[in-house]
Amino acid sequence: MEKFNSINGLQEFRSRLLAQFDPRVPTLVISAGTCGQASGANAVIRAAKRVLLRKGPACGVRLRVTGCHGFCAMEPSVLLEPRRTFYPKVGPDDIAAIIDAAERGDIVESLLFVDPQTGARIEKQDDMPFFKGQARTIIGRNEKIDPIRIRDYILNDGYLALTRALGEQNSGSIVEEVTASGLRGRGGAGFPTGRKWGLFAAQRNVSGKYLICNADEGDPGAYMDRSVLEGNPHSIIEGMTVGAFATGATEGIIYIRTEYPLAIKHLRIALEQAREMGLLGENILGTGFSFDISIVKGAGAFVCGEETALIRSIEGHMGEPRQRPPFPIVKGLYGKPTMINNVETWANIPIIVSTGARQFAERGTEGNSGTKIFSLVGKIRNTGLVEVPMGMTINQVVRDIGGGAPGKRKIKAVQTGGPAGGCIPVSKFDLPISYESLKAAGSIMGSGGMIVMDDSTCMIDVARYFMAFLKDESCGKCFTCRKGTQRLHELLEDIILGRGTPEHLTLLEELGQTVRDTTMCALGQSAANPVLSTLRYFREEYERHINDKRCDAFVCKQLTGAPCQAACPVDTEPWRYVALVEKGDYEGAYRVIRSANTFPAVSARVCDRKCESRCSLGAGGGEAVAIRALKRFVTDRVDPSVYRPEPAQDKGRKVAVIGAGPAGMTAAHQLSLLGYRITVFEAENISGGMLTCSLPAYRLPRDIVEKEIESLMNKNISIEYGRALGKDVTIQSLMSQGFEAVFLAIGAHESLRLGLENEDVEGIFPSIEFLKDFNMRGKELARGHVGIIGGGNSAVDAARIALRQKDVTGVTLFYRRTRDEMPAHEEEIEAALEEGVRIETLVSPIKVHAGEGRLAGIECVKNRLGGIDASGRSTPVPIPGREFKVDLDTLIVAIGERPGSGPLASMGLEVDKGGRVKADRKTLETSMKGVFAGGDLVTGPNTVIDAVASGKNAALVIDRFLSGRPLVEPAKPKLPSVYIEPAVFEESEEAPPRAVPASLPPSERVMNLREVESALTEDQARMESRRCLRCDLEFTMEQPAEKTAGAAIGGVRHD
Amino acid sequence: MDTKDILDIIERNGKNHAGLIAILEEVQEECSYLPEEILRLVAKETGRSLADIYGVATFYKAFSLKPKGRHCVSACLGTACHVRGAQKIVEEFSQELGIKPGETTPDNEITLETVNCLGACALGPIVVSDGHYFANVTARKVGEILRDTREGTFGSDGAPEEHPFLIEVSCPRCGRSLMDSGTSLHGHPSILVTASMNGKTGWSRIPSLYGRFARTHEHAFPDNTIIQLSCPHCASSFQDGSRCVECGAPLATMRLADGNGVFRICTRTGCEGHLLDLGRAEL
Repeated sequence: MEKFNSINGLQEFRSRLLAQFDPRVPTLVISAGTCGQASGANAVIRAAKRVLLRKGPACGVRLRVTGCHGFCAMEPSVLLEPRRTFYPKVGPDDIAAIIDAAERGDIVESLLFVDPQTGARIEKQDDMPFFKGQARTIIGRNEKIDPIRIRDYILNDGYLALTRALGEQNSGSIVEEVTASGLRGRGGAGFPTGRKWGLFAAQRNVSGKYLICNADEGDPGAYMDRSVLEGNPHSIIEGMTVGAFATGATEGIIYIRTEYPLAIKHLRIALEQAREMGLLGENILGTGFSFDISIVKGAGAFVCGEETALIRSIEGHMGEPRQRPPFPIVKGLYGKPTMINNVETWANIPIIVSTGARQFAERGTEGNSGTKIFSLVGKIRNTGLVEVPMGMTINQVVRDIGGGAPGKRKIKAVQTGGPAGGCIPVSKFDLPISYESLKAAGSIMGSGGMIVMDDSTCMIDVARYFMAFLKDESCGKCFTCRKGTQRLHELLEDIILGRGTPEHLTLLEELGQTVRDTTMCALGQSAANPVLSTLRYFREEYERHINDKRCDAFVCKQLTGAPCQAACPVDTEPWRYVALVEKGDYEGAYRVIRSANTFPAVSARVCDRKCESRCSLGAGGGEAVAIRALKRFVTDRVDPSVYRPEPAQDKGRKVAVIGAGPAGMTAAHQLSLLGYRITVFEAENISGGMLTCSLPAYRLPRDIVEKEIESLMNKNISIEYGRALGKDVTIQSLMSQGFEAVFLAIGAHESLRLGLENEDVEGIFPSIEFLKDFNMRGKELARGHVGIIGGGNSAVDAARIALRQKDVTGVTLFYRRTRDEMPAHEEEIEAALEEGVRIETLVSPIKVHAGEGRLAGIECVKNRLGGIDASGRSTPVPIPGREFKVDLDTLIVAIGERPGSGPLASMGLEVDKGGRVKADRKTLETSMKGVFAGGDLVTGPNTVIDAVASGKNAALVIDRFLSGRPLVEPAKPKLPSVYIEPAVFEESEEAPPRAVPASLPPSERVMNLREVESALTEDQARMESRRCLRCDLEFTMEQPAEKTAGAAIGGVRHD
Repeated sequence: MDTKDILDIIERNGKNHAGLIAILEEVQEECSYLPEEILRLVAKETGRSLADIYGVATFYKAFSLKPKGRHCVSACLGTACHVRGAQKIVEEFSQELGIKPGETTPDNEITLETVNCLGACALGPIVVSDGHYFANVTARKVGEILRDTREGTFGSDGAPEEHPFLIEVSCPRCGRSLMDSGTSLHGHPSILVTASMNGKTGWSRIPSLYGRFARTHEHAFPDNTIIQLSCPHCASSFQDGSRCVECGAPLATMRLADGNGVFRICTRTGCEGHLLDLGRAEL
């Protein structure tokens, strides 16, 4: 290796390299930082070398192995220079094709990145949404440089800042340049770097001054420093050498955590190469200036990121912080002046010094100049390192660059600043990112970790996680930190284990403030942040844990039990009946199902399966157990007579139920069992509510509904048909007839309107009216080309029903977001597509065209997804100029329903803007005494199973009301309590895939209403039941085995 | 590890305070933990009290006072891994191995550890087993990781047998081939060079199968020493001043037979560090 004795020597060398370098040569750049290697980059590199070796020197393709490029979710990735083609998730078998194409000056279309929003392939890295919004001044250099080759760095303007600095007569001008840039410490505190340098330069000490690079990147969730150290170690060496020249430091130390082996290796190589070339050590570039850097490895202590603790650690002691002042700048390592800057701060120095402070300060905002690297991780689609100008909003980072949440999950918050930081809720995502704004929001910038959390993240668990971390990492010097973090952890643990009381919250707040106010170092002062910030923004979640003993994220085990059971609104024990199916006890299984659920056969067909979405098997990387299909298997096979509860003796007290849908009938049945006399008033001439009038028969055959309702009837219940509330009866008239309580469950039967001109012309139907006319009266309203507006189940039902009407030529469904966000069940969407329904996404109607009083068509506009709204979903934003017309003969509006509650308001009930009756969430009490309300009437359109749950709850509270007991009882966690022996598995038994019930092929079903899906076969069902992970056993193993047949059945136990 | 080795370590890192952590790190690397008698020796040699040494040894997470197993599995519990279910992964490992984090299996094979953050947050949950990273780990992958760990078969390197990747080299000075088809290693011709150390000179064979660079020598050379590698035809040395990226020892540089770059291999016995530089010859 050449050693340079002058600044000129290095510059000539760079010119030589530049002259030799031909930027037109196609080069595969393979990202091989720790993330890349963990994803298989080494195998890709190896394959590339093998192919290139085989092709020989005639092949004009080059290879460059580099550090991380930032888009970790797509690792191992290959960038083809100079075209800048980006190949994501490349496997070793893809390499030959990529190289062949590169040789021809071509690309491999099929391996390109697919934009999840548009479905289009994107060739160039810079056009991809992940890269487009970034300003990659630091991280972008990684892809140019093989970190073990100093020539790559020099070729890319490396050590240019050093030569510029060394050429300055007055080293003070460098400090001025850094000050002018406005750079602030990227380690988190944001202290102006130039000011620090100025203070340090002013320290005159003949016996030595130290520079330290703080590479103890301890914040869990932050790894930008690792990426810079691994991918561009010379930038840190150069930054520190420039810093030493500017401030008169004599020795440098990089304090790096031992958990980063690749970074340490690359730093070692880089230091050696820099010394060999005369860029480090004695008499640098012959200028007489000397400075050298050594590496000190941290040994795994978070507190050592604090500067005084870090110094103690380098000195060979326990890393305990000490009181400041004196600040390290005056009295630091071995008592000498010491200046500590973070990795990212140092990496900015060569850029500022070589390109000038002004250019640097052009990025970012006043007081927050330049760029910042964030590690965008957690529940987000595009995980990776993101470098953006300061002042960008969280929304832009999370939504535009990060691509939002994966799948249908909803983003809830983003955690910034590591353990010392806090959680920022989605409602504050329009916050521009700066040191000050994050602080004001109760968090901090910290080193730049951004951990995205969705509805499957429990905020109390997150707070507990950080507290566990901090209590372990507290050095123990300050009592309030040592004991306070422990105690905060215990309090959170109590809440998580179901022992929380409202006083816990008061204590958490009080203690959190005490810890903040009475500790010495930054660790202690910020230790309570995770608790205080989650309490500030997610208090409801705490209260839910404490008051209802529920963890809605299904994270806290002692409040969740078996996730399938916890997820079920009617408290079914799916694990239990699945286990009984495995044993072949189908009747036992039926009793378990029916004891919790009044509509088992209906649920077996149309339940939205909250149990399956929470199944541990699904959450653990597999496919959830097909619980609903097993329920269908059981309910198809077992006669309902095996569970026929006898009603208690007539108490002679009357209750009125309005509406014979699932909520009303469930309440009526449950109350009748308790001995109340029930009269159900139904406006239509048939019972079933939405089950009959809205759900298509191919999903839910009519006889199933009839039979199920029939089995709920007994001598205590009578139904009066054709009696509508407000017309035929009023609450007041019922009360005067001796009904002591009224349960309102009239559903939500009014379709929402588009709010467009011409909406009332002929040919346009609200979806409910359209479905009712067909399902109840056999009328076919649709003809010609039918358009459906909406993306929910009702829209898909309407589309599939329209397809089955004889005058219809085609059906197109228009939805305003992407298919991923469609609220309809995935398999319904699939089935609709199979049958020939066209689905156009990211489209909104803006005009209705009419001719001669009849619908002619609609005008739509194309949308793109914008920021995340308060519901955690992306809002559709119309793209100006992208309007288009569609000719239609029929238009069905299925954008939602609202309760037709006009008459209720006139009877004196409080009703909200959406037409929903105001009722207490737990007690279902309305504004009128003795009148309760539930089902869709209270929630707006909701699922069948939620309606059943509401009916069950209504029966409980009405019984309590009529017997003069408190309406709410203290909550207890619902945990599995019956032991059923697990299945025995052969050692070699492989887990089978999820069972799929047979269904009619599209050709056999589109012209009729035959039920599409069949039940599982017995073999299928028995196999499927063996897939269950039996989460219940963790709670029941300790108990003596009970005979399953004799065990108490059902939800009674939970009350 | 005998007393002399320990004294060497202490000597190398210096007896002043600052060297202590590095000393303990080296001891742990050798012994897999910090045995009491060595801590006593370190205390005596550095003049610090045993309590002081014990304080440092227990303050930092990287140090262990208990022996570790032959293999080490670390599950990351960083925030990003945590929100993606790392706790479940740890529980799965615990259950499979029948031990708690921080413990070693009774057969002394596997130690299970948790670590605060490995900095590969985008790929969480992350598990590192004997230095091999596993990304996006699910409970179902746990068994596979343990099998790989026990058998040392880490999938990410691929099976070289499927696509044999052969290196053919010649002397950079005289240009003559170094390949010896007469003696094959792993079923392929070997690379034959001259090796010498302390006046002992003999042949040395390197497999030509890329990635399998365990050498055999005519003379038994002690482990961890640097040997001179040279051309058997023109006797010129292969050392050209470049250094091994793994251990910093000099590299021996040979030319690829078709002139498409160079192949470098570490001259320290026991180190398998190597570089295959296609189309470029200098670092």
